[in-house]
This record gives sequence, C-alpha cells and structure tokens, in this order.
Amino acid sequence: MTAETLTAEVLRNALVVAAEEASIVVVRSAYSTFIVEGSDASAAILDASGRLVAQSMATTLMNSMALKVALPELLKDIPAPGMRPGDVFVLNDAYRGGVHTNDLLVYRPVFVAGEPAYFTATMIHVSDLGGLSAGGMAPLATDIFLEGLQLPPVLLATAHGVEPAIEAILRANSRTPDKVMGDVRALVAGTAVAAARIEALVGEYGPAGLARGIDDYLDHTETLTRAALLALPAGRYEASYPIDDDGIDLTASHTVRVAVTLAPGSGAVLDFDGTDPQVPAAINSSSSQSLAAAVFAMRCFLDPSIAMNDGCLRAIEVRLPPGSLLNARPPYPCGGRFVPIYAAMEAVFQALSDAMPERAIAASGILQPFSIAAVGAPYWIHLSYDFGGVGARQGKDGPDATGVHFGIGRNSVPQVEPVETRCPLVVESVEIVPDSGGPGRYRGGLGSRTVIRFLADAHVTTRGDRLRNAPPGRSGGLPGRLGGFHLRRADGSLERLDSKVNNVRFGAGEAFVIETTGGGGIGSPGDRPVEEVLADLDTGRVTPHGALADYGVTLHPDGRATRVAG
Amino acid sequence: MSHSIGVDVGGTFTDVVLRGPDGGISVAKCLSTHDDPADGIVTGITTALGHRDPSLVTRIVHATTLATNAVLERRGVRVAYVTTRGFRSAIPLGRYARVEEDRYDLRFDPPAPPVAAGDCFEVPERVNDRGEVLEPLDEAAVARVGEEIARRGVTTAAVCLLHSYANPAHERRVAEILRRVVPTVVISSEVWPELREYERATTTIMSAYVGPVMAGYLRRLTARLAGIGITAPVHVMDSAGGVMSAELAARRAVATIESGPAAGVLAAAASGHPDVISFDMGGTTAKTCVIRNGEPEITHEFHVGGKGSFGGRRAGTGVPVKTPAIDLAEVGAGGGSIAWVDPAGTLRAGPRSAGSEPGPACYGLGGDEPTVTDANLVLGYLDAASFAAGTMSLSLDLAEKAVDRRLAGPLGVSRAEAAHAVHEIANASMGSAVHVVTVQRGIDPRGFVMVAFGGAGPMHAARVASRFGISTVVVPAHCGVGSAAGLLAGDLSTDRVLSAPGADPVRVFAILAEAAAADLNVTLGSPGVSVTRSADVRFTGQAHDLTVRWSDSPAELADRFFARYRQVYGIEQRGPIEVVSYRVRVTQSARHSPVGTAPGAREPGGPPKRPRAHGAADASDAAEVRRAAYFPELGGYIQVPVLTRATLGERAGPAIVEDAEATIVVPPGWTARLADDMAVILTEGGAA
Repeated sequence: MTAETLTAEVLRNALVVAAEEASIVVVRSAYSTFIVEGSDASAAILDASGRLVAQSMATTLMNSMALKVALPELLKDIPAPGMRPGDVFVLNDAYRGGVHTNDLLVYRPVFVAGEPAYFTATMIHVSDLGGLSAGGMAPLATDIFLEGLQLPPVLLATAHGVEPAIEAILRANSRTPDKVMGDVRALVAGTAVAAARIEALVGEYGPAGLARGIDDYLDHTETLTRAALLALPAGRYEASYPIDDDGIDLTASHTVRVAVTLAPGSGAVLDFDGTDPQVPAAINSSSSQSLAAAVFAMRCFLDPSIAMNDGCLRAIEVRLPPGSLLNARPPYPCGGRFVPIYAAMEAVFQALSDAMPERAIAASGILQPFSIAAVGAPYWIHLSYDFGGVGARQGKDGPDATGVHFGIGRNSVPQVEPVETRCPLVVESVEIVPDSGGPGRYRGGLGSRTVIRFLADAHVTTRGDRLRNAPPGRSGGLPGRLGGFHLRRADGSLERLDSKVNNVRFGAGEAFVIETTGGGGIGSPGDRPVEEVLADLDTGRVTPHGALADYGVTLHPDGRATRVAG
Repeated sequence: MSHSIGVDVGGTFTDVVLRGPDGGISVAKCLSTHDDPADGIVTGITTALGHRDPSLVTRIVHATTLATNAVLERRGVRVAYVTTRGFRSAIPLGRYARVEEDRYDLRFDPPAPPVAAGDCFEVPERVNDRGEVLEPLDEAAVARVGEEIARRGVTTAAVCLLHSYANPAHERRVAEILRRVVPTVVISSEVWPELREYERATTTIMSAYVGPVMAGYLRRLTARLAGIGITAPVHVMDSAGGVMSAELAARRAVATIESGPAAGVLAAAASGHPDVISFDMGGTTAKTCVIRNGEPEITHEFHVGGKGSFGGRRAGTGVPVKTPAIDLAEVGAGGGSIAWVDPAGTLRAGPRSAGSEPGPACYGLGGDEPTVTDANLVLGYLDAASFAAGTMSLSLDLAEKAVDRRLAGPLGVSRAEAAHAVHEIANASMGSAVHVVTVQRGIDPRGFVMVAFGGAGPMHAARVASRFGISTVVVPAHCGVGSAAGLLAGDLSTDRVLSAPGADPVRVFAILAEAAAADLNVTLGSPGVSVTRSADVRFTGQAHDLTVRWSDSPAELADRFFARYRQVYGIEQRGPIEVVSYRVRVTQSARHSPVGTAPGAREPGGPPKRPRAHGAADASDAAEVRRAAYFPELGGYIQVPVLTRATLGERAGPAIVEDAEATIVVPPGWTARLADDMAVILTEGGAA
C-alpha cells in the first residue's frame, strides 16, 4: 500500500470541496427566486467518460443525476477534442438528461495535457425562461413547447465571456432577462472555481495519480454500497403509487409501479416495468429524474455515510421503460416531474418497507409546489412549495410538514418578511393542521396550512398530488388527512382548486390557501398510549375532537385523559 | 500599580493571565470546575496573584462558555414565545436543513425547537415592512396570553412580532402588558432588529434563555472575587472580540457565545504581524480565522451547535444567532480524533473523538482506539515523559498497540506508516479549515503568517502551513493560554443593528450610535471613543448581502461593495445596489500594549529568559537531548535534537522544541528561532 493510498481520504475530501465551492459561489450570486429564498445550488465534478466523481453536499440527487446523464449527450454533439480552455457549455434538454426548461445544466472542461479530462458542472432552476407560466411551472402544458425555451448542448461562454448570440436568445425568451443573465453568470463562475481546484489537484497528484485516486475512490464506494446491499433481505418486493390525475383529464388516474429485487451478490435492481405510459400532460419525468428518485429511495435503506458518486450507482440498476411516465419521449412535457418521481420514490419506500418491516415508513404527504406571479409587466414571481407530513416510521411518529423529498429540510421554505418586502402580498399564517397526521400507534406527521392574501391581482399556478388519494397507513395505521389548494374570496368563503391549475387569477383582497396532506400512521390508533395523545393535545397536533374520534381518548376538564372502551 | 487579569474558562482548563504594571506576565492553569466555574477562577487567580495585593487588580476580562453550554446542553431557563397571530407554529416547525448523512435517513427527527410547542403563543396584530399598522394590537388578548404563561409557571418570555424592526411599538406594548405577570420579557426589536423573522426570533429566544443564567453567574462571580479582595469590574468578551460590562453581558448573553475562541483570535492578532491566520488546535477541534491589517474577519451568520463539514458552517443546522462573531472555521480534528479503517479498507480520521474520557489510548484511561495524539506519540513528535510538562505521563506501549491492532494490522503497513498517514490526514483536515477562511473567500494565504496555539497546534502547524505556501509560523510565548492572553487585548465595545431599507442613513446611524454608547456607558465624542459604521448591501433583487464599511458617498459605498463582491465570489459585477441593514460598533480603546510584545518579558540585551511558569533547571550546559522522530522525507525515524525555548537560539529542522505549554515540531526544510518576545518563529526554506 503506497503512502498515497493510505491518505486517500485527503483527495476524496478535496474533490467534494471543489464541488462545494462551486455551489457556494452560485448560491451567493444567483438571482433565481428559488435560490434567493433559501434553496441550494447544485455542483458536481465528472470525468470525460461521464462518471460522477463528486457532488457538493447540498446537491440533491435530482440535479447530480441530471448532470451525470446529460454529459455524454453534450459530448455526442460537441466532441471533447474541439473544446478550448475557457469554453463553457449549457443545455436543458429534458430528453437528454435535463430536467425541465428552467433548469440549466452548465459544464466546463478541465484540461489535462491539452485534452478535456474532467468537467465541472453547476445547475440551478433559473428565474424564468418563458413558457406558459412565469417562473417555469406550467402544469397544464400538453407538450414541451409550452414549457419554455429548449436548449440543446451549445457553447455558452468562452474565455472572453458569455456568447452574445446565446445571451440574446436567453434574454429574448425570458420574462426576467436581467435576472436570468445574473443566474447564468453565477453558474459560469461556479464552474470556474471548481475547475481551478481540479487543476490544482492535477498539479499536486499528477495526471496519472489523480486518475488513479479517482478510480480507487469510485471502487471504494462501490465496495461499500455492495456490502450494504448484501445486508438486506433477498427477495422481490413490489409496490405502486396511483397519481391523482394528470390535471387535464380529472377522471383518469395513472400508476407508477416498481419491483425491487435484492439478490445476494448482484446488487439491487429497481424495475419500473408496468408503469403507465407517458401522457400529454405535465406528469411525466425525464429519465435522469426518475433515476434520481429510485437511487435516493434505495439509498435510504443503506449506510447513509456512503459517498454519492458513480461507484454507488454501479451497484444499483434502475430500469425505466421508455415512453412511460418515468422516461418521457419528445414532445411529452416533463416540467411536472415532481409528481411521477415522488410516486417512484414512495413506491420504492413501500416495497422496501415490506422487505424490512422493522424499518418501515408509511406513505407521506408530498411536496406541493406553487407559483404566484404578477398578471402583467413588471413581473414579480414568488415560487415556493410547502411540504406534506412524513409518514410514521416503525417505532416513531412522522415529522411535521417536511416530506421525504430527497431529504430536503424546511430551511428552503421562504420566510415571511423578505417575501412581503418583495411582493405585493400578506402572508396571514403558516400553521400546522391539527388532526391531519394519519392516526396510528405511531402517528403520521402533520400537514401545514399557509394563507397568502394578495394586495394586487395575481396568477396562481399549482402542482399537487395525494390531494385525492390519501397516503395510506401501514399495519392498521390510518391514512393522513388530505390537503388541498383553495381560493378564499373576500367574503371568506372557500373554493377548492384542482391539484394542478394554471394561472388562476386571484383579485386583490382574495387569498390563496395551501393545505398540505398529512402522513400515514403505523399500527392501530387504539394502541397509542393515552399519554402520547395527551402530549399531542398539549402541542396542538391533535384536537379534543380528534383525540376522541381517532384515538378514543376523552380529555376531562381537570386535564386528565382516559381511553373510552370499545 | 494596576494589574489586569484575563480569565478563560474552557471545557477542561481554566487559564489565567495576569499582567502587572510593568507589562510582566504571570500565568496559571487549573482544572475547570463545572458545578460552579467561579471555584476554578478563584483558584487560578489566587495562584497567578501569588503574594500580590488583590486590591491592585483594576480590571478582569472574562471569556466564558457558559452561554454556549447553556444552549448546547439545553440548560437555560424555560421561555415562553409570543408572536403575531398565525405564526405560533413557526418556531416548532423550524428551518432546519438536512445535511450529508441526514439526507438519506428516513428516521431523521427535526432538531428539538428551542421553545416547546405548548409554550408558543400568538396575539392579533400586524405591521407591514414599512412599519405601517395593518391591524391594531389586541391588548386584551395579550393580557390573556400573559395569564396563561404565568399559569404554566413560566417566568421568562421572548417576543418577536413580524416586521418589528420597522416599527417596534407593538412589541414594546406587548412587553409592558406581559410584565404585569411575567417577570422577564425580552423583545426582538431591542435584542437585534434585523429583517428575517426566524433568526430574529431565535436570537431573542436565546437571549431570554441564557440571560438569567448569565446574570446569576456573573453576580456570584463578582461576589466571590470580592471575597478574595478583588473589587475591580468584571468585563466579559463578546463573540466579536469586544468587551462589555457584566451588566450588559447579562442582557446580551447571546453575544458572548463565542467569547473563548474570539479571545484566542485576539491573541493571534496581538502577535505583532498584520496579516495572520490563527490556528488553534485542541483536543476535539481545530479553529482558524483570518486577520488582516490586525483586524479579525467578522461574520453575521452564526449557528450555535451547528454542523459543519470541511470547515464550512452549514446554515440550517443549530440555532441561528444573529449577533456579530469572529469568523472562524472549525473542523472536527484534534488530538482526540479517532483514527479508524472503514469496511472498504480506507483509513479515516475523525469525526469521532475520544474526548478527555477515555481519551487517547496512550492516556491509559481505558481507551483502546488510536487517536491523532497516539499517532504523534508513535512518531516521536510527542514525548511520553514530558507531555503537559510532565503533569501526565503517556504510555507509548498502549499507543503502539492501538495503532498496530486497529490500523497497521488491518491495512498491512508498518506502525510508523499508519501513524504518519493519520498525522497527514489530520493535517489535511485542519488545512480545510484554513482553506475555508482564505481560498474559499478569495484570499491568497501566501504571505500570511500562521500563529499557532492550543495544546496540539504547534505540532502540526508547519505541515499545515506548507500546504498553503505559508512560510512563517509563529508560536507565541504563552501559546498554551493564548485565549486568556487575548482577553487583555480586547477593547470595550458593543454592536447595534437596524434593518431599515429606504431609511435616512444619517438618522439611523445617529440612533444606533447613541444606543450603543448608552450600552457601554460612554459618551460619543469623548477621548478614546470611536464609532465604526457599516452596512449590509446587496444588488437590488438579490437575497444575500455583504457587510461593507459605510461611506456617505453612494458611489464610494457601491465601489466598496463591488470590490467585496469580487473578492468573495470572484465575480466582476456592477449594478444597482440597495442597503438592507445598518450596523455600528462603538469602541472605547483599552489603551494598552498587547501581551505578546510585553516589554518586561525579556531583559534588554540579555539572554532570552525562560517563561516564568516553567521553572526547571538551567539546561544550557547540559548535553543536548535527542530522540527518534519520524520524517518520511529523511527515510523514517532519525535522531533529532529536543530543545527548549531557552536552548533554541536558531536551529534548522528537523528538531523538536518543547516547553510546558506545547510541543513544536520543526520539520526538515524549516528553521526555528527564538524572537525577542519569546515567541518561536518557524520559517520554511532558508535561514530565519
């Protein structure tokens, strides 16, 4: 064993830090509403053969899988030998690794001996790139052309700066041209920072030394992943998730199906055969996003400290039927990917919960994205999402209003003061919804209710699911309570909106009410100890009515609680 | 004939530094007393004073981890939280991030909120971002909330209403009404009136949470000191390196959370070099900070108990506290960090630490996992007999066994190779903290001087410095009590902030400066009192702002912002800017010379004098001590001279310099010499 192998951890950390620094630069200098209100940017290091080497700590798998799947597509159109130092490339093509039109994937080659050997890549949801709806959500799009500007792999910038022709096209296709260009410059700057770090590593380790170190790193990750998979119970486990509707035809449901096969020695196979076909509505996903959902869900049952790189991917095979909801073909719209990939994630969770009941998680309320925008120029956009309750875990209640969405926490939910400073609206409340957690021995997490009153007319666009089919409980636990999107009129009356609506006009004085769905419970509610019901009463998670109806527990005026027989 | 005393209470040791009227220094180190830290302080001060008259002490400056520990260990007082109607759930729901491993953990539970959900209350009222009242305060509802808080037996309340930075009237009225039944009420517009309700609320809650604990402690401490004849005022260092009265520290307890580390950085700043990277390595973590032109960098984003990775702080972990703090990067690499081999056969160091119990294997306290300290002992950098001035003997045998069994055996390499790899991984890990405060912030570390202190820092410093092209490392005379020495360098100062987009800067600054001066009990314009004005500026439409020094000229302010932006993000950008918040720092100069260059520390023209606390016999005539230490570039173990500050003079590496406070490793290619102020200066390449 050489001294270099002995201290392999040093190089591995340096690779992650290179990606980390790129994302810091992007987050700090971008204009996109998502970033501005707290989300993270994504950044990754790849090699010229398209292998994912490292990603920044805050990068979600959605974005790193996009960057990984799209790089070989970029190299098909623009072969590496023609690239020059300082060149930067961009694409957003959903059918070639991209996500949807608003997510820009930016790559910069790092040269070793005159040839691109590595690529540094950054990615965010940019401010606006046209389409039906400002900010990039168009739930009623029936083809990709309604979702905004499509970019095949093109040269974005050279050592002399952003290409004027590309800048002109981006500006012409954006409702917020200055902000989009601010985002683009941030993405380009991020790749430059990471490239400088990789160049330094090439200098420090030598070209061959760095290549060998990276090979060892990926092999090491594969070894750890396979060892973790070996500890899981062998077998074939199936599950499915019915999507409420596609937003266009409210009578038709669509189903995502998975069979997870765990076989000793051959890793894991996640086969989504049997998933319904793609539809001309915004509930399809590009393959990179479905891959991300499947790998994420599988990883939740493995040692969480395993690094995320190509070595991990080698041990997990994901089969996505072409032309299905999870692997859309042109020109089927992909902008509504949250819904099918959440469905894929949830289906894998249920399949693996069946495999490992002691680690089971019940179904969760899913992410409910929405956008609010000015009805005309000058445009302002508020793009956000609220989280549903997490399903109960075997032995534990589910967390409130945080979802299981790629492990994102509540820090990405905007704060009230900056939003009110920026947009003509008043956030009246952000609350938990009592009794919304699926009752059970272990209770599902609660949904939340946010009320936004408008001071000027505004367009509201939504994209929700599990607003008709409640997340089921497990082992006798009950489903979480359904949330929904509502319009509150000036007189206080509520009108329920469909889960996927586009540009519904709200007048000044009217309010948009977002209620998220609670998570499912595990085990019979009758087995929940009275003192736990009492604690839920104290924190407001359960009302006296809910305590009686769901748990058979009566609260007495003296503060005691007893369980009613039967 | 006045004496000043610096007291730093750390997790393990209480350090005391006494400076006499001639600038001469006495130090004392004793074990911290956790039940009541005042016991350890009184012991330490009594030792340091010796036969001196306690009444001659005119100033005591204190750094304490009391507030930090109260937050981390949740030992503050129970607090009720009152906010605007509709937002009672905001604190219980929290704004946590799931980072790294948490991402893939389906059994993740959000961190417990700083206030129990049942102790959160709301009152009808609403103010907008311009300070206009949209809904009047329902005073009857406030009274009912007060009664409920009292009924629950809670005696402290924190109030944070939406947009109260723009108009504090409702918060003040809520406080008035609550105080009829709730003894202590803290409001956000007084604690830290800055936009973004979540951080303002947690800062206010933490003030309420630790304030009473701090007030009680400082009262007891003052009484104990009076008991031994010291009646000098007790000052407390804040997280930004300023010093406040005990009375203000009780009200602004959250501002003291990083007082110990801040003092350490001030000690590094006092080394006499303008551009310094401080490097403080202890048992569990290593901390670094950049000092430019003698000024430490300050941050306004700080999370107590937050998680870090690679030296960067993770927003959304821990409890955000918005008061200014010295901008430190911290990594979980210290002497106690445990080295291990992962299931795929890769050697790792940390993040787990053996702490002080059981401690490294060589402590012989039952630990059998090899640590960085064990590796350093195996490599001969540390000496089993002279560790911590011989107060504690180490077992080389146990260290060797732990390295063999857990590392060298499984990896199939020699004991020395395994130990050296651990040393290198620790260096890289500590290097990442240096990287965060320099390269990652657009600062070229070459040309900086690294000031190393803490028990383990001087053993690793030269190797860490080499990674960054830093060619000078300074190990100050009192490097083992560096933080306590830094306390004496602190000026009396405090900060104020106000978020006021679109306001008249002249008026805002005047109000803030008056308020800060009142906090310090000084008069603006009197001698030694200075006001520093700065502003949080951003490109119009962006969310992240940067703090820059204020200028009354808008063009100059913009230029400063653009320059800062270029430095931090590496992006050349211009455009319309806006000011979000205004900040002032009012300082009353302490008017003294820094400890590191104290004139009495050395007789003019005479030979270097040993630091007083070291005692020991005169070594100048004795045969030179040597021991085997491992330097791979020289082929492995070789005999190297073991020197003391007194015998050092100027020597080329490899060599080891030992004293009571630290062990300095001088690698091959480095030269060490003793400076006039008894600091050891290491220089890479050529003579010193």
